[in-house]
Amino acid sequence: MRRNIKLVAAFLAVMLILLTGCMGGGKSEPGGGGSGGGGSGGRTSASGLDISQRVELQFYMLGDAPVDLPLIEAEINKMLVEDLNATVKFNFTTWTDWEQKYRLLLTSGQPVDLIFTAEWTQYQAYAKNGAFLALDDLLPKVAPKLYAFVPQEMWDAVRIDGKIQTVPATWKEYVTFGNVWREDLREKYNLPIPDSLENVEKYLAGIKQNEPDMIPLAANGLFHTPGYYDFKYEPAGVASYGFPYGLYIPYDDPSNVQQFWGSERHLEDLLVMKRWMDNGYISRNVLTTQDTAHTMLVTGKSALMMGDNPNRWNSTNQDMKSTHPDWELGYYPYPLKKGYATPVHPIHNGFAIPISSQNPERALAFYELMVTDKRYNWLTQYGIEGTHFQVTEDGYYEGLSDSFKREGMNGWAWRNPEYMLFDESFEAVNEIFHELDKIAKPDIFTGFAEDWTPYQAERAALEQVRQQYLHPLEVGLVDDVEAGLRTFMEKAKEAGLETIQKSYTEQWLNYLKEAGIQ
Amino acid sequence: MKVKDAEYSLLFKTIAYVMVTIFTLVCLFPVLLIISGSLTDNETIVRNGFGLIPEKFSLDGYMYVFKYPTAILRAYGVTIFTTVVGTALGMFFITMAGFVLQRKDFKYRNQFAFYIYFTTLFGGGLVPWYIMLTKYMKLMDTYTVLIYPGLMTPFLIILMRSFIKSAIPDELVESAKIDGANDFRIYRSIVLRLSMPGIATVGLFLALQYWNDWFLSSLFINDTRKYQLQFYLYNIINTVQFIRDMAISSGVSIGNPPTEAMRMAMSVVVTGPIVFLYPFVQRYFVKGLTIGAVKG
Repeated sequence: MRRNIKLVAAFLAVMLILLTGCMGGGKSEPGGGGSGGGGSGGRTSASGLDISQRVELQFYMLGDAPVDLPLIEAEINKMLVEDLNATVKFNFTTWTDWEQKYRLLLTSGQPVDLIFTAEWTQYQAYAKNGAFLALDDLLPKVAPKLYAFVPQEMWDAVRIDGKIQTVPATWKEYVTFGNVWREDLREKYNLPIPDSLENVEKYLAGIKQNEPDMIPLAANGLFHTPGYYDFKYEPAGVASYGFPYGLYIPYDDPSNVQQFWGSERHLEDLLVMKRWMDNGYISRNVLTTQDTAHTMLVTGKSALMMGDNPNRWNSTNQDMKSTHPDWELGYYPYPLKKGYATPVHPIHNGFAIPISSQNPERALAFYELMVTDKRYNWLTQYGIEGTHFQVTEDGYYEGLSDSFKREGMNGWAWRNPEYMLFDESFEAVNEIFHELDKIAKPDIFTGFAEDWTPYQAERAALEQVRQQYLHPLEVGLVDDVEAGLRTFMEKAKEAGLETIQKSYTEQWLNYLKEAGIQ
Repeated sequence: MKVKDAEYSLLFKTIAYVMVTIFTLVCLFPVLLIISGSLTDNETIVRNGFGLIPEKFSLDGYMYVFKYPTAILRAYGVTIFTTVVGTALGMFFITMAGFVLQRKDFKYRNQFAFYIYFTTLFGGGLVPWYIMLTKYMKLMDTYTVLIYPGLMTPFLIILMRSFIKSAIPDELVESAKIDGANDFRIYRSIVLRLSMPGIATVGLFLALQYWNDWFLSSLFINDTRKYQLQFYLYNIINTVQFIRDMAISSGVSIGNPPTEAMRMAMSVVVTGPIVFLYPFVQRYFVKGLTIGAVKG
């Protein structure tokens, strides 16, 4: 009897050890307080920062970690211990449920020192709710180099409620839309360059006629609709989201907010989509297909894609040429038709320090190094020279390994134009960028921080209605377009469209006044 | 009479065989599609869709998967480890809990049972749970976090309790006590032996839960070497999804996602070994489940 008790007790003990063993296994403790690394005698960094305590910084980026991340992390930490008496842990959220994880990271209070921000991660909304640390005082003190490096108007552009809450990226790029098409087929069948809607239709018709097996338009869900609208109209902010709640805000006259859904123009566009569907330019299972528009283009299933940015056009082109050297993709940027191009807003790529950070000074100092120190910058953007990449004689980037590709850490935010290396093929994109530079005008839309708390319930209801009634219309799957549009408008109004539009317009006009745009 | 019987059973057999065959085919079809897809040239898949026989044979999918085989092998290791350890620990705790909760001489058994049951109705929700595990228990990036949250499932505890209650009469426990057995002895020699079918069921549930888990990896694991197998797969699909839905509007540039053929090859590599293992293990499952039934 006694033996049994002992046995059970021993078993329990073993399990406890097992459990705690697992617990201790993965967690690397921040190196033993003040005693670690270089003693405690009040060490200071180059910029006068107190670095007597060794700390570990938690760095969070979206997306998947590159295979060789541990190598890079080790290299960075070697230098970082010298410079700031700190180590950094690079964490990646993956793309699985990234929005939920992002929210948890910012709301749970777990220590996060640096986190990526963008307008599509709802930077404006989080900043408004006080998720990030205001950097105004910290910047000149801790990161003077970085503070001077980023132009003043960019700092001003990322201000939310008057405070700088993220460090914007300085590389000027355009993610404006454009048409991408198979240039080799266009030449072969002598079709017009799709630089207007008329020519797009001619091109599609020509492809359908000559290549009956192809589905001319690379469409996947509503992929092509934002592109189509941006091509036809001149909306202030279509580049990302399409018309917000069916309101058309013209770029030239932003205070003139117009009703788009249900209007004559809307009906006209829906009829165009219907025609395209009837003529077989769009696949009938467009709403359910799993292939990306890029895949459809690269594999030769489709011949035209609407609404892609120059950078992605180029990478798609390279990708295609690796399997089909004789194929060629052309590009027509929509800004050329409109006469103006808006470079990305500084909010588009940035890094912020969440309020849960335990070492905001050190975090900012480290971020300064990542942007302004070439060694840090190259390591985190391109990997280890000689192992992952090399610089060609002409100064181009050449990848050597698949385990750390160019910008393998998704380092969009800490790009430094002075140190940036480009693939030789990127010249084509640079050419377009130069052309767009000539007609550049500021982005007036992204700085707007929409606050949807007043109409949260209506917003969710409207999204349902939109998916059920508008999406099929926008790909031309509804036979009676006019009646379909009427139904959609009825249902949208029931869902509270008018409440949303009213509140949204009010907020928008307020923003225009505050930002001094007219 | 006899002839009629034979006719009847022949009819039954025919119908049964036809039904089972159809059902088997329906189940086999998707698997065959995946296998053939994994062996097809990707371009052919996009242009012509999947076929039962690869139109254009290609091993590119597998080449891609085995370019960095360590990642998949590690994920396998992690999942096997969490499944084995989690199931073993979980079965121990759950049977213990079930045994205690059905003892008549445990005065507050009903209160405790209700307390456990209560958690299935009212929980704190995701955020408090997340804060609890990361901030207070500091379980981020540990193997523990993959095992610990799944150890005690209220439903399984209640299942176990009712099972033990019905399978083991009080008299049996009493007589064992008279013979000089203590509670642990009763638990080990009587309860565990007699409730084998129940334990098998619980074990199966637990093992499936651990094997199919991806959510814990998704929330709590940053270290790629600690990914569970299901998460590894799920994440690839999500990356493709992200590129499809977001990459254009966000303007981010990410490398090319795995192609259709690669994903199919990965599914085969991940599910293949289990498919082969299952017939051998299945025997024990069935045996465990029917032990009690045969005795009545």
